[in-house]
Amino acid sequence: MPPTTDLLQGTLDMLILKTLGPGPEHGWAIAQRIQQMSEDVLQIGQGSLYPALHRLEYRGWIRAQWGASENNRRARFYSLTAAGRRQLDAELANWERLTGAVNLVLQHA
Amino acid sequence: MLSEWFSRLRFLIAGKKRAAVDEELQFHLELETEANVAAGMSPAEARRRAAIAFGSRERAREECREARPVWSLEALGRDVRYALRGLLRNSGFAVIAVLTLALAIGANTTIFSLLDQALIRALPVKDPQQLVVLSFAGDTDGHTHSEGGNSLGHRHEFSYPMYLDLRSRNKVFSGLIAAAPASVGVTWNNQAESASAEMVSGNYFETLDVRPAMGRLLQPSDESAPGANPVAVLNFDFWRTHLGEAPVVGRTLLVNGTPFTIVGVAAPGFHSMVFGRLPAIYVPITEQKVLIPEWDFLNDHSSYWINLLGRLRPNMTAARASAAIHPLFVSLREAEFALLKDQSEKALAGFVTNSRLNLDAGARGFSPMRDDVRTPFLIVMGMVLLVIGMATVNVASLLLVRAATRGREFSVRFALGATNGQILRQLLAEGLLLGAAGAVLGLALAPEALRLLIHGISTGSEHESVFSATLDWRVLLFTLLATLAASVLFSLAPAAQFWSPKLADALRQQSGTVSGTSLRFRRTCVGLQIGFSLLLIVGAGLFVRTITNLRSVYPGFATDHLLAFNLDPAMAGYPAAGVAPVEQRALDAIAALPGVRGVGATNDQDLSDDGRSGDVKVSGYTPPPNDDYDVELPWVSDGYLQTLGVPLVAGRYFNAGDTATSQKVAIVNERFAKHFFGSAAAALGHHVSRPERPGTDAMIVGVVKDVKHSSVRDPASPTDYTLFARAERTTGLTFYVRTWQPPDAATNSLRAAIARVDSKLIVNDPRTMTADIDVDIQAERTIALLATTFGVMAALLAGIGLYGILAYSTAQRTREIGIRMAMGARRSAVVGLIVREVLVLAGIAVAVTIPVALLATQAIRSQLFGVSSADPAVYGVGILVICLVAVIAGLVPARRAATVDPATALRTE
Repeated sequence: MPPTTDLLQGTLDMLILKTLGPGPEHGWAIAQRIQQMSEDVLQIGQGSLYPALHRLEYRGWIRAQWGASENNRRARFYSLTAAGRRQLDAELANWERLTGAVNLVLQHA
Repeated sequence: MLSEWFSRLRFLIAGKKRAAVDEELQFHLELETEANVAAGMSPAEARRRAAIAFGSRERAREECREARPVWSLEALGRDVRYALRGLLRNSGFAVIAVLTLALAIGANTTIFSLLDQALIRALPVKDPQQLVVLSFAGDTDGHTHSEGGNSLGHRHEFSYPMYLDLRSRNKVFSGLIAAAPASVGVTWNNQAESASAEMVSGNYFETLDVRPAMGRLLQPSDESAPGANPVAVLNFDFWRTHLGEAPVVGRTLLVNGTPFTIVGVAAPGFHSMVFGRLPAIYVPITEQKVLIPEWDFLNDHSSYWINLLGRLRPNMTAARASAAIHPLFVSLREAEFALLKDQSEKALAGFVTNSRLNLDAGARGFSPMRDDVRTPFLIVMGMVLLVIGMATVNVASLLLVRAATRGREFSVRFALGATNGQILRQLLAEGLLLGAAGAVLGLALAPEALRLLIHGISTGSEHESVFSATLDWRVLLFTLLATLAASVLFSLAPAAQFWSPKLADALRQQSGTVSGTSLRFRRTCVGLQIGFSLLLIVGAGLFVRTITNLRSVYPGFATDHLLAFNLDPAMAGYPAAGVAPVEQRALDAIAALPGVRGVGATNDQDLSDDGRSGDVKVSGYTPPPNDDYDVELPWVSDGYLQTLGVPLVAGRYFNAGDTATSQKVAIVNERFAKHFFGSAAAALGHHVSRPERPGTDAMIVGVVKDVKHSSVRDPASPTDYTLFARAERTTGLTFYVRTWQPPDAATNSLRAAIARVDSKLIVNDPRTMTADIDVDIQAERTIALLATTFGVMAALLAGIGLYGILAYSTAQRTREIGIRMAMGARRSAVVGLIVREVLVLAGIAVAVTIPVALLATQAIRSQLFGVSSADPAVYGVGILVICLVAVIAGLVPARRAATVDPATALRTE
């Protein structure tokens, strides 16, 4: 198993919301997308992906619908809700503040 | 935030299928496998790699499940089950706690239900928020017929011509309705009885949107001309209880001897636009002459007798409507002023310039009684809130004691990894369970308590009560909120003791009990209980003294062996000319009965908050300017003063020599004589009359002692008695019969005597004078009764609560006591030690409570009579009682502790 990087709690939620920004995706594609975009640094354990998706759905930030995948198989597609979009903006802003602050410390210490 | 809750709620209700989760996970696995195959692996290898990368499927499934919001409900169910088991294990404690709560919640629900009905609830009509009550500021000239409820600048009685003008010329109401009460005789199937009637405008029912239960209701065409439409609508309850639900539409009943056609029955639940009025029948207002034969109100601008209620047009506010209608009202007042005799500047200012029409929120309807009952109700509500506060502290302290002995249990649970949050949840679950059980039991008790209380309130009146004993949603909501608040409070009490970061450590170190962690908390509980109960006991004491004082007031005449009843020949259809003669015959018939010491009658009932007053012109007396001296003006029979036993001061009583043709005579009381003439003797021979009414002129022939008239609370008013037979108008009378035997026993022979005069005559509401006084002081009696109940309840609760805490803390000190006794302390010394501690605690609590009590009792001052709100005797007894309770509660555990064998005590722990 390739080495995984521990994600900060809540970061996975943000990544999922960000991934869903362009449009609906199913779970596998979300995991692939995160993996590709992070150049294989972030590998989402499926054991945490699906609970996270369900949690987000329960909170009303994403919506799930059954649809057909590329090769015409039944799959659950997740998409952002309006509340989810607001949540994403809030988390991104928060993240930028946090990383900015950490960077500042690292540069000057 | 809200959308999140909705989303959670949706899933909580709809849930999610297990199969769907499985399908989704399977789909993922397959895609992963395909990707691996595409990367060049063999199918078997690809599947193996995919499965490895996926990790445990069962765990993923489980975690998906735990993400569900439902999960916390399941946990709650677990908590409740656990709590139930815990409570059952300790059932004695649970029973006491539930009973305590049930009593408190039941009392609160009962009182709140009454308060809601009297002060909060809207009339049972369509869109009550559109209704406004009309009242006005401005002088009146003439006769006002009021049931009360007026205040400065708010007269609620209008004249009929004024009403007609307002109704036809306003642009703000979709309907303006009028009603006035009358007491009438109703004859149905040759059975005559007295009943209340309401004279209403033709648009009354349609504006309120009340529907008929059968037939039709009154309509505008029924209000055409005086006396033109003798039709009646029955109240549903009256139809059910008095007419046996007979098919009545189209049939005839007699109202004051005049036939009326019944056209319908109003919908159940509806009584009147005036809260507190319970009419049996509704008739067109134009039938006034039949219902109140002695007056002609309909064309009189200066007879103020009807209450008005308006329904605002849609989108009209009371403020805008008030501004819009003001010019109309003032112009009507101007027109009325032109008819008056006094055309002075001052009169104009009072009558027109300073007049104003008020439109006040009328969803609850006007009520002549609401202002009178508000304070008593709020006082009683305050008391029951104290009771529930008391119960909360009580259960909290019981829980605290119980929690303290559960130290080991909590230690184990902490050791097993329970978090503070979980322990807290568990405590809350226990508390809410107790609260729920208490609420259910309390609610079960409430309707019965309510029924008893309503019955108690309506003692002395034969009529049904305005209050109903059913609980509505508002009351249930109140109970729910009260229970929730109390439960959270008392379940958090032990939690406050546990919930500290160091708790887990503390528990690990102590094997058995959590002692000393919150001695202060426990003391606060004891203090609060003593404080609450002292407040309630003092309140009870003040009201009990008030009621004894009121009962022992001497009104100026003996009230025993005195029977009263009302007789109004008009109710039996007597024309005006026949009324006084038949009343005289009734007096003679009763006087001739054996066992009757004397009989008298008056049109101005004694000690029942009734009054007939006005100003008088006195010969030889020039009133100072702006003098507004009102005098009580009863019309009495010649035997009235002697029968009551009002002592004569000067001159003579009325006698048989005062006939229809002799000089008109009057008797005044001392207060009257002193005000106008300086002394009783100086009053004799002077003449008294009503201003502008020379026919009322009478010569003063006697002066009698002052007697209390309207109520035992109020001092005597200046009074001018004249003979009813010589009065301007005829009137119904209240008869007073002084008997030799107990007065109740005379009722039947009285009825028989009246029936011999004329069987159509109705002997209305026979009762003893003492019962009349009881009705007069009804509010005080009810408060006193409730206050005493709550006071006893509080003392009892305090006893239980104190015992619980003291029993526990004494048990905690078994070891210390053992040492003391081993060192030679005597048992009495040990008991004394503990009791002394209790007394010190009680002393501190009392010292803190007394200033609070002194402040709180300020609020009830208006309801007290003859006792100061800081009455030392009441406070002394209260303190004594509460200290006694504290000592008893402390003595029992103290004695038990002192009987312990020192050796055993030392070996504990």
